[in-house]
Amino acid sequence: MMGMSDLDQIDILSGLKEGSELYAIRRERPEFVEGTELCRETVLSPNHGFGLSHALRAALASRMARFIGREDLAAVYDLMLDDAGSDPDLAAIASGAETAAADAFTSAVIRHADLVTKTPRDNSRADIERLEKAGLTNPQIIALSELIAFVNYEARVLVGLSLLEEVE
Amino acid sequence: MSMSRFKVKALSWSPYIEPVDIAAASEEQLAAMQVTPSNTKVSAYVRTLAHDPESYVARTKLFNAIMYAKGGLDRAERELGALVASAVNRCVYCASVHARRYVELSGREDVVEEIYVRGLEGPFDARTQAIVDFCKALSETPSQATREQVQALRDHGMSKAEIVDLIHSAAIFGWANRLMHTLGHSVPVEAK
Repeated sequence: MMGMSDLDQIDILSGLKEGSELYAIRRERPEFVEGTELCRETVLSPNHGFGLSHALRAALASRMARFIGREDLAAVYDLMLDDAGSDPDLAAIASGAETAAADAFTSAVIRHADLVTKTPRDNSRADIERLEKAGLTNPQIIALSELIAFVNYEARVLVGLSLLEEVE
Repeated sequence: MSMSRFKVKALSWSPYIEPVDIAAASEEQLAAMQVTPSNTKVSAYVRTLAHDPESYVARTKLFNAIMYAKGGLDRAERELGALVASAVNRCVYCASVHARRYVELSGREDVVEEIYVRGLEGPFDARTQAIVDFCKALSETPSQATREQVQALRDHGMSKAEIVDLIHSAAIFGWANRLMHTLGHSVPVEAK
């Protein structure tokens, strides 16, 4: 019996149709499909957020998706941001604006997300020290790092699957 | 007389932040690190990420599935995907671990030597080249990865299911490198 669509975010943004060849291939790896969604929850809407709100996380995810060049992914995180409760500052973060934060804590968080997304190879100890100086605790540093890394992973899965869907 | 073979040194990893202290860890952190009375030795890497046990547990499960799940893409070529991502992101520690695993599984010291000495441009044999080109583009700038690169993988005999595995192995190292390379640095094993 056909119920609601079983397409997940990765299928939709990769352009996969229900019942398509690649849709079926993805389901042969349920650990990847379910594992990715579980990871999304732990970085975007975790039980323990360590003071990094779901709204801030969604805003950062949207911003990173934009920098990676996936406006469609950014739009999904914009919706998540709206659901979590947006405000002009968070909307500015999501938009990718250059100077998006009023306080030192948030600007350090944004700077780190930008760097690790765009040029992770250039990161050094000094970048972690900047986070500490801005008041981030160790759990916050790890939670932020996992969020940044997840969005970069997700965008690459989307890009790869979108291209694969185009070839024979 | 045997030719001298290219060897990648084993490295250790040291974090920039204080890892979780096992003696002071919460129940959730101990469970995440799988600490039991008979298992109290936990790597610095695991103890560092255990500051956020929720994400650590979920990612570890996904990581293991992507790198070790049965069937699909050959284990060696998943390691090559990991190595290429790590080379792009200059994660020296990850590159060392996965270069060594790749050689163990494939015997291809020649490919690893090429990557370490001359970089990712090649030339490599045709199938290796196709894997390196695609994983390099996906890792560097996803928008620069092309349909032609994916077609090249198909042309070299890779099934779509295998390409799905390759995409995930490169992508999960876009994740792992962004942890290992930004949260700490490689150190010689002796200095541990």
